[in-house]
Amino acid sequence: MDRPTIFSITESEIDLNELLSRITLTSSGAAAIFTGMVRGQTAREQPHETEYLEYEAYQPMAEEKMKQVADEIRDRWPEVEGIAIVQRVGILYPKTPTVLIACSAAHRDTGVFEAARYGIDRLKEIVPIWKKEVSPDGEFWVEGDYYPKSGE
Amino acid sequence: MNPIRILFFATLRDRAGTKSMDMEVPAEMTIRELKVKLTQDHPNLTESLKSVLITINREYAMDDSVVPSGAEIAMFPPVSGG
Repeated sequence: MDRPTIFSITESEIDLNELLSRITLTSSGAAAIFTGMVRGQTAREQPHETEYLEYEAYQPMAEEKMKQVADEIRDRWPEVEGIAIVQRVGILYPKTPTVLIACSAAHRDTGVFEAARYGIDRLKEIVPIWKKEVSPDGEFWVEGDYYPKSGE
Repeated sequence: MNPIRILFFATLRDRAGTKSMDMEVPAEMTIRELKVKLTQDHPNLTESLKSVLITINREYAMDDSVVPSGAEIAMFPPVSGG
């Protein structure tokens, strides 16, 4: 059976149930789902409040790199069946889901948890998306710290 | 001379004051040489170009990569999606 791979950049609300049903095969018995949302109050490191985040993407490349992340997941965890990688962009307020990585498989001991973790970590390294943080004290672009190698 | 297009994102776009720029560059120009040219033409970009990620036709490139004719170059800070 074809193993579904979904990747998208969207301005619309992330529909978990719809995505989950699209990556569920008749042979699937488990799915690990990671979702990240806008945090209004940050306690760690430099405590601060966030009014909203504004996301932008280099869309065609971001979709190609999401596909690459999915391929890397399949290389590492061949038992993974369906994969969904979705990033929402635009202005997003606290408590709003911004990203979703979901991996399905026949059973939970197939690496699905690790696969979803790898997906979000890798997205934050190589998928060209940025967020601007707007707080009561001003606004700034959040920058990552990963420098991809040539062709990575 | 080869035509290229440069796309800017996030801090680089703010500094450049534009989303994209069309340029003519010498054949066999490297990314390193392109950065020098941009620093000369747009001093605003100098700081941002020190820790920039650069892609050629949507693949990550290094300083010695050669810019092909008609290339779509993009310049941006380390990514922060999620």
